[in-house]
Amino acid sequence: MSGCSIRALWILNLQDSVVFSRRFPVVEKRWRLACQREGGFVRPLLPTEQELASAFAERKQREGSASGHGIRLSHSAQGSDSWIDDPITQHIIMLHIKREDEDEYMLWPLVLHVKGFFYILVLPLVEPQQHKSYERMCRRLDCGNIGRMEDGISSLLLNLPCITGACVVAHSLGDIITGELADPEVVSSSSPSVGGLLDSLTGSIGMSAISARAKPASTPVATSTTSSTSFVGAIMSDTPRNSSRPIDKDLLRTFISASMPFGTPLDLSLSNISVIKANGFSSTDPPPADLKQPAWKPYLYKGKQRIFFTIHEVVHAAMYDRDDILDAISISGQVNCRAELEGLPDVSLPLTGLKSANVEVLSFHFCAQVSEHGVDKKAFMFSPPLGNFVLIRYQASCSHNPPVKGFYQLSMVSEDEGAFLFKLRLMEGYKAPLSMELCTVIMPFPRRRIASFDGNPSIGTVAMTEHSVEWKIITSGRSITGKSVEATFPGTIKFFPLSSSKIPALRRMVIGSIVEEDSDVEQDDTFNMENTDEHLAKAMNKNLQAAELEEALCWQAYNYAKVSSECIAY
Amino acid sequence: MDKHASFRNSTSPATAPSQQLSPQDWETLIEDFQCGIPSRRARWLPLSLLDLTFHSLLRKDFSPALKPQLLLFLEDSSDFLFRPSPSSSLPPLIDCLRSLLLTFPGESSLKEQAMVSTTSIAIAAVDSPSPHLVDPLAEILLSVANRPNHGPDRHTRSVACECLRELELAYPLLLSNAAGHLWSLAQAERTHAGQSYLLLLATSIASIARHGLLSSPSSILSTAVTLVPFNSPSAVLSPPPSLEPSDLNLRELRRVFAFLLEKPQSLTPCATMELVTVLTSIVGALERHMPAVAALLKVQFSGLLYCYDPILCHVVLMLYSRFSDSFTGDDTLGIARRLALIPKEAHQPLVFRLLAIHWLLGSPQLASKKGFLPSLAHYFYPTVFDPLSLKASKLDVLACVAAHTDRLHSEQVTTNQGEKKESYTTAVKLFHEGLACVSAFKWLPTWSTETSVVFRAFQKFLVGVSPHQGGVLTEADLDAVFNTAIFQTLQNTMVDLPLKHRGLVPVVSTFIDRLIGCKEHQIVGERLLQTLDAQLLPKLDKGILLASYFPMFERIGRNCRIPPHGLLELLTKHMLYLTEKHGPETGLRSWSQGSKVLDICRTMLVHHHSSRVFFGLSHLLSFASQFFPDLEVRDSARIYLRLLLCIPGKKMKTIVNFGGQLPGVSPSPHPASFYPQSPKKLLGISSYIHLERVVPPLVKKSWSLSLLNLEAMNNDTSYFEGIKDNSVPSTTPDSGGVLTIDKISLQGEPLRVMDSKVAETLRILRKHFGCIPDYHHMSGTKISIPCLLKLEAESFNQVWGSDLEDNLPALYATVITFKSTSKYGFIPACRVPFLLGAPSETGLEIIPAGGDIQEDSSFRTPLMVELEPQEPLPGLIDTELTANIENGQIISGSLQSITVGIEDMFLKACLPSDVEDDRVSRYYLDLFHALWEACGSAANIGRETFPLYGGKGAAAIYGTRSVKLLDVNSDFFISAVERYLAPFIVGVTGQALAKMVGSNPVIGNVIWGDDCVVFPEGESSALVPYSESAPLLLEYIQDEGDFLNTLETSKRILGTFLVLIFLPPRFHLLFQMEVGNVSTLVRIRTDYWPCLAYVDEYLESLIT
Repeated sequence: MSGCSIRALWILNLQDSVVFSRRFPVVEKRWRLACQREGGFVRPLLPTEQELASAFAERKQREGSASGHGIRLSHSAQGSDSWIDDPITQHIIMLHIKREDEDEYMLWPLVLHVKGFFYILVLPLVEPQQHKSYERMCRRLDCGNIGRMEDGISSLLLNLPCITGACVVAHSLGDIITGELADPEVVSSSSPSVGGLLDSLTGSIGMSAISARAKPASTPVATSTTSSTSFVGAIMSDTPRNSSRPIDKDLLRTFISASMPFGTPLDLSLSNISVIKANGFSSTDPPPADLKQPAWKPYLYKGKQRIFFTIHEVVHAAMYDRDDILDAISISGQVNCRAELEGLPDVSLPLTGLKSANVEVLSFHFCAQVSEHGVDKKAFMFSPPLGNFVLIRYQASCSHNPPVKGFYQLSMVSEDEGAFLFKLRLMEGYKAPLSMELCTVIMPFPRRRIASFDGNPSIGTVAMTEHSVEWKIITSGRSITGKSVEATFPGTIKFFPLSSSKIPALRRMVIGSIVEEDSDVEQDDTFNMENTDEHLAKAMNKNLQAAELEEALCWQAYNYAKVSSECIAY
Repeated sequence: MDKHASFRNSTSPATAPSQQLSPQDWETLIEDFQCGIPSRRARWLPLSLLDLTFHSLLRKDFSPALKPQLLLFLEDSSDFLFRPSPSSSLPPLIDCLRSLLLTFPGESSLKEQAMVSTTSIAIAAVDSPSPHLVDPLAEILLSVANRPNHGPDRHTRSVACECLRELELAYPLLLSNAAGHLWSLAQAERTHAGQSYLLLLATSIASIARHGLLSSPSSILSTAVTLVPFNSPSAVLSPPPSLEPSDLNLRELRRVFAFLLEKPQSLTPCATMELVTVLTSIVGALERHMPAVAALLKVQFSGLLYCYDPILCHVVLMLYSRFSDSFTGDDTLGIARRLALIPKEAHQPLVFRLLAIHWLLGSPQLASKKGFLPSLAHYFYPTVFDPLSLKASKLDVLACVAAHTDRLHSEQVTTNQGEKKESYTTAVKLFHEGLACVSAFKWLPTWSTETSVVFRAFQKFLVGVSPHQGGVLTEADLDAVFNTAIFQTLQNTMVDLPLKHRGLVPVVSTFIDRLIGCKEHQIVGERLLQTLDAQLLPKLDKGILLASYFPMFERIGRNCRIPPHGLLELLTKHMLYLTEKHGPETGLRSWSQGSKVLDICRTMLVHHHSSRVFFGLSHLLSFASQFFPDLEVRDSARIYLRLLLCIPGKKMKTIVNFGGQLPGVSPSPHPASFYPQSPKKLLGISSYIHLERVVPPLVKKSWSLSLLNLEAMNNDTSYFEGIKDNSVPSTTPDSGGVLTIDKISLQGEPLRVMDSKVAETLRILRKHFGCIPDYHHMSGTKISIPCLLKLEAESFNQVWGSDLEDNLPALYATVITFKSTSKYGFIPACRVPFLLGAPSETGLEIIPAGGDIQEDSSFRTPLMVELEPQEPLPGLIDTELTANIENGQIISGSLQSITVGIEDMFLKACLPSDVEDDRVSRYYLDLFHALWEACGSAANIGRETFPLYGGKGAAAIYGTRSVKLLDVNSDFFISAVERYLAPFIVGVTGQALAKMVGSNPVIGNVIWGDDCVVFPEGESSALVPYSESAPLLLEYIQDEGDFLNTLETSKRILGTFLVLIFLPPRFHLLFQMEVGNVSTLVRIRTDYWPCLAYVDEYLESLIT
């Protein structure tokens, strides 16, 4: 059994050139010795930056994208990651390193983490045997296994904690280069400054939901209903917001030297590392007299004692408005904490009513120790670290309605013109002190350009962009509290005509008639009038882009609207 | 790159080695070393880099930001700078570290980096433990670490501990004498640095335990040896033999162990993983002596499972897979449940959600042995917002669960039907409900990721019940697989899916391909195909949409275990449907679908025994060759039918399976590459020996029907001679369509009434056919193609290495043999006694004086290639040359093939001997009219047969007609006709035309007539096609507008050419060319319809 050691790591930019790299000679020596023990079956080499970059570019080309196919497709090549036929190969990849005058050799396992404008590659130390068994797996001639097999990818991953460690390292590095610090927000910035708030509960529920509705009966397949959440938005705008700023190499160097001086990660908390680097320790910080300070708490708090909690929830809802499909609403939440307590106190906290809240998954910060594991009741004790941290994460299914509920329908009256209708109820069943601060509905049309729209909402304002219509129902400063509000928005929308060559066409139909005949001779479907549905589906999807494997759906294939809202309670 | 430029301008390291480097230089240097390009690195190597670095590090005025980088540079380049001679390079480094630690108060991060880098370098550069190199370093580090609870430098101390730990890991037992000190240090430390002391102690104890030091009589924790000055213990160099541990030391060890286990929560997650790794190795070494320790580990660490940090979860899993005996059933269930829940956590980065699934599946205890999975299955139904990759992984788990329950169901030999049924339904439920979120809602196009995920899941479910075991499945295994609920459900799905969603046919086909391509699942894939054949085919309707299923039919056709009749029946129906529905706008579709059907037929020919497919296929092909609206399809069908009828199975398979291509239509500009060459022969002689036609064919890009040349495999060149229409076996069920022409000629002539006009026509035709030789019984009409043979001296010399520059090479006794896949009969070989190489065009000095190189016969030999066509169609003639060269060697090889165009087949009709000279033109004109009549409305003479010369055979006329409008002005057209068709003109009508042509002597002895005499107005209406027997209908006139147009333009017609062409062996081609000012309408009639397509192209080429 081995821990986690890292041989080397590289950071590449979108142009596939290395912008940062670090090798760990101590770990590399271990690898070299292991290879010698194995009789030299595996090359004890690290590629140069150039070799790595070209191998990465080559894989990108072979596998279609940086993360690759992930699953075996008809054009997957034997000996490549997608041959394994497992989505994990999008994250744990193999590179074929080609060196002049030498045969190519494989480099595995490289943990790939795509963050912002950068690809982060981390190469942990594995046994040469494990390396070889992955290579064997890539070349198996059969039609593909489930990972369960003795020599399958799953058992390999179970026996390689170093991969898990490398993934965590890659994520930490990703947060550093994009400047996203992992510390959660505890006191919500949108809430007014709360002076005497000490022991009150600060709740913030960020909620979003979507509602859409299926077309009336005749064509249940053509327009299906989906809904999405802010989570969707996060996926769709996966490209980071900040522009491609150069990475802070000094910060990275400092972080790596402090967190894994020899390649073995010891402490990945950037905030602790930065504080120690900036402040150091003076003789005014005497070691605690009779307590042992945990490694993750290098400084002790002094001052007024208080503790804050905030709850942050994200609601994922899919509302179908169909009898045969149940709506799906789930909540992922977290309890953030900031404990300003002197010394090293243990705080114990009981959790009750878990069952009625439909809490399915609960997981804790590593400083917590769970002492009671009931179904409805849990008790735990924690010794809080400094600063803000996520104390609990939970996942629950929702028993009551989301804060926005309603109905959305879009019918096309002609190829380029459609009528839509929104009927929403906000905050139904939500009582004070919960208030809704923000609520926005976005109708995205990723594959059509909007020419104009017409219609007035009963409340709020509407704005239009090239590919979406945005309806701001509640803007900041006009929050609603303790009452439910109905909002309707009927209207029509016109699109620019489809230019068949350039913009992928999204064809919609008018019930009973065909929008456009397909000129494609090979697909002479138009001969058969009974099969209109299928024809339409085909026409609509003709230029559809396949979704990425890390997305939930091919969003472009559906008509949907996106609701994001924010509810706050004090 | 500009850095380099500026660098070169300012300082050059090679010229000033002793000079100190500026910060910019250092940056360039570091970059050059980092990039890994040896040449960039090489230019720095002349400097004494080590001295420079040490110097810069110790300079107080040197940029403090750069110093850590210098250290990292040393570390990164240790292989170049230190490894070659560690004993000379390391001590200065350690000295440098010592001075850094002493002289730079406050700069703790630099000190820390220096310790780390020095340790790294020492470890990387020194292979075997060498006390004189390592001891000084260890001593420095120990003296830093040996100040417990000293406040300000606590972090530096913890780094020193880490350095010591790495040294201990690299050189085990290095710190074995210091373990006692380390223990007291670890116990005393109260700051956050405690973690490092703890890990250092654990590591040192672990190597003591693993390397047998516990057997020593003295305590391992003794502090008798002072910490500083440090001397490596002898055990580092030669570890003592492993003996039983002494009781004293075991006791000591337990104390240390208990201390290490005290508070796992005080370590960071990464350090926890390190600690557990070390502890496991201690337990591994002493499991026998410390029985309860594993349980202790479990108690202390298993709580970490509920942390959201994936590293801590994995720590518990490491313990579980190492000491699974210590975990109770409840513990195990808890772990399994926790792993099942992690994928549901939307906060977790995707990779950890996927990893959790792998951990669960990867552990044999969790996944299969304990059988927890079924109870956890409900956690794994993918939800709508799960990323697709997570959905795919969750489906993997469901596939495992389904396989588990399913196997239970099929293995239960018990009679408990209820239970059996339940597990059956469970498996089916898992299958359907699991897939609901990816497929049930809506099928996206075949290329969509959603579809790929579903079909991947199908495969996983199937592999779940029939995992790969490294051998071919036995009968019993297969039976078990076929009986599983999963297989049966999958089977039904495979039938239902394509039925409801035609778009999925290609994906279903690929899915089956994947199974068939796998050694173990080949039979399973075949079974699915059989199911499709049995269950899907009957449900399919003929009709245009059937084409979507062709990829599937292709697979079914390829599989010889599936009886072919079902498919053939369906395809025959489809061909019938296409024929029935053929209309003016469906030409392309008929061609495309017809060809595809034939393609499937070809596949069946290749993969089935001929006898098995004979009945159905011959039925289909004979129908297609007779009635299918598209010419090319008819033609190909005819070829396949002939192959099927006349060639024994094995040979035929070789023919039709050529390179997986559809034989029949091949583009012909360079088709030589299409034919396999005999490897024994010289390739490439065609690069210097050229055989060219004197007159190139008019149609440059011609195509031809050709079958491959089997010469390479078999010397029997007369393969195709067996394919004679007359030798059709009588077993053929209604295959008459193809063979009508000659068969009918053998039938008796019925009696019928006819008028005098018809009688006259018949008389003329009788007379004409009477002088056409019957090629079946005597030598037929021959055509000749004049060619030129040329040897290129220069290229020849290049190939053969002849250095006789002033001597031209020559070929002696050359024999050129010809072969063709087209039906050109026997082509006699040509012999050339001597051929001199032609000098290159630039080599002016060797042109014989006064000789015109173009005309010089010694450089070009004219040849006449004689053909005796049995079908007047274009084709290719392969040529092969054998010759002696100067040195007596014989060369042989293929030359460029000769293209035969349709116009090579054009001959003047033969003239009976009794026609007087002044009646010749009248005879031809009469013959033209008679043939025009005969090829037009077959009703009158359709049943008539005409005996051929030689008296044994007779011919019947099956006429076809066609029209072609040529958009070209009259002058151009007339000159083209004069140039190419003059000999065949038998009549010219129209004053204007006669005037234009009359001045031209080329068109001689023809009949000049009036408009109305030759071309009665009513004739054009006769073009409205109706003919039972003429299958080819190019319906030009059908469009009423066009028809009127034609009439309209006819007013502007200048006149008409009548052209009579004889096509060997006994066919005719007639043109009636209505020449207009701006366009010409050519009415075509022939008694040999296959030539029409070529004629079309010929006419096109005529006017371009």
